Amino acid sequence: MTLLPWKRAVRSSGPQTSAFEDLAMPLLPSLYNVAFWLSRNATDAEDLVQETFLKALRGFSSFEQGSNFKAWIFRILRNTFLTSRTGLAAQRTVALEDELRGREYAQAPHPEAAIDRQTPEMNLLLLSDRAALQAAMETLAPPLLEVVLLADVEELKYREIAAVLDVPIGTVMSRIARARAALRAALQAPTTPSMEVRA
Amino acid sequence: MSDHLNPNQLNALADGELSAEQLAPVNEHLAQCASCTSNALFQSLLKSATAKAGQRYAPPPHLHDRLARLAKQQTTLQELSTVRGPRHSAGALAIAGWAIAATLLLACGSILIFERNAHQEASFSSESAALVTEACDQHIAALAANAPPQVISTDRHTVKPWFQGKIPFSFNLPENLPADTRLEGANLTYLHNQPAALLLYSIGKHRVSVFVMQRTGSDPSSAVQADHAGFHVLAFSTADLDVFAVSDVDPARLSSLVTAIEQVQNGVRK
Repeated sequence: MTLLPWKRAVRSSGPQTSAFEDLAMPLLPSLYNVAFWLSRNATDAEDLVQETFLKALRGFSSFEQGSNFKAWIFRILRNTFLTSRTGLAAQRTVALEDELRGREYAQAPHPEAAIDRQTPEMNLLLLSDRAALQAAMETLAPPLLEVVLLADVEELKYREIAAVLDVPIGTVMSRIARARAALRAALQAPTTPSMEVRA
Repeated sequence: MSDHLNPNQLNALADGELSAEQLAPVNEHLAQCASCTSNALFQSLLKSATAKAGQRYAPPPHLHDRLARLAKQQTTLQELSTVRGPRHSAGALAIAGWAIAATLLLACGSILIFERNAHQEASFSSESAALVTEACDQHIAALAANAPPQVISTDRHTVKPWFQGKIPFSFNLPENLPADTRLEGANLTYLHNQPAALLLYSIGKHRVSVFVMQRTGSDPSSAVQADHAGFHVLAFSTADLDVFAVSDVDPARLSSLVTAIEQVQNGVRK
């Protein structure tokens, strides 16, 4: 099994725009949504989607029909983001120790004491505050935000996310664990204004 | 199972990533452990809430149309490129455009030869003049063809890396541009049979072509300013590069852009 199932020898035929548009256009809302989350800017998001779209079209002859087009084009989007101004800036702000701490977190003992303080009713209240959750997502570092978006919003499987991000599945699991722990901590933080209102 | 479920197991459970073999002991543990059951429920609710909260931004209505149009243009370019060979991909959108460009090229060449006697004060050398003419002709051809750039981006970090492996030199692009000036994209082109980066800017509604090529002359030359067929041409050289900017925009505004590009070549952060 290959990590990049869509990769294969380039076909000699020219681009198949109709087939490409049939596959790509339905994904435009998803691509734009993720692009906006990553770039945090409407103009940059449009540029990012447009660049992704053109790169994908140019490389469509190397895409294996029947394999996962969504993962393929999201990989292009992500790589394009990484070479963009905002992507490069984001990479500089992510410390290596963050990555190491994440691996430790995945093996951490069960945080039982923290869980017992939260009742199911409180959890429901916390999670029903969409604005607070979006604010919490905005605080996530790009490597954590992108796994949350791919896993929860785009409903990609771990194997697909690993291919999009070009990382091992273990790293995907570690980042998901860290991202959700961070979201949970942000939602439960007493300083969250919307939480204070609801409390 | 005596130990509590770890975060990876809880997340994999919420994400539906556990195999049947992995799921059985997890379910067995959940049946006995209220704490893990509460935690698993929270993870599932969090996933569901994040999925809803994450669907936050909708694409603007014009984006769909623009992408569909670009797809068609790109396809036309690639089909023409396949027929005519890779060297012609930059101008392959419209054969008619090339015909017009060729006519304009001949006309401009003739005009330049005619005008050279009347502009003796022009300080640039004959080699520079030929380059200016060719740059001007390519600018006119690009306007006539109205083809999209080979790399479409306003981001200098997208445009500059695109040339990696395509040209035997590198250059810098200014981050901060003068007011109302925007990077539109770039093309790979040839000037004097040498590969050159053609950077496409807009100043208001005026198009600007900036050609960056490897320096061939040995003598350092000062900045060159000329008018050619109604277009303004500004040029400068660094130790390694020759740069020509062509546009019909106001010379002062063109000069601001060229100054920004020149300064960033010399290491001045803009």
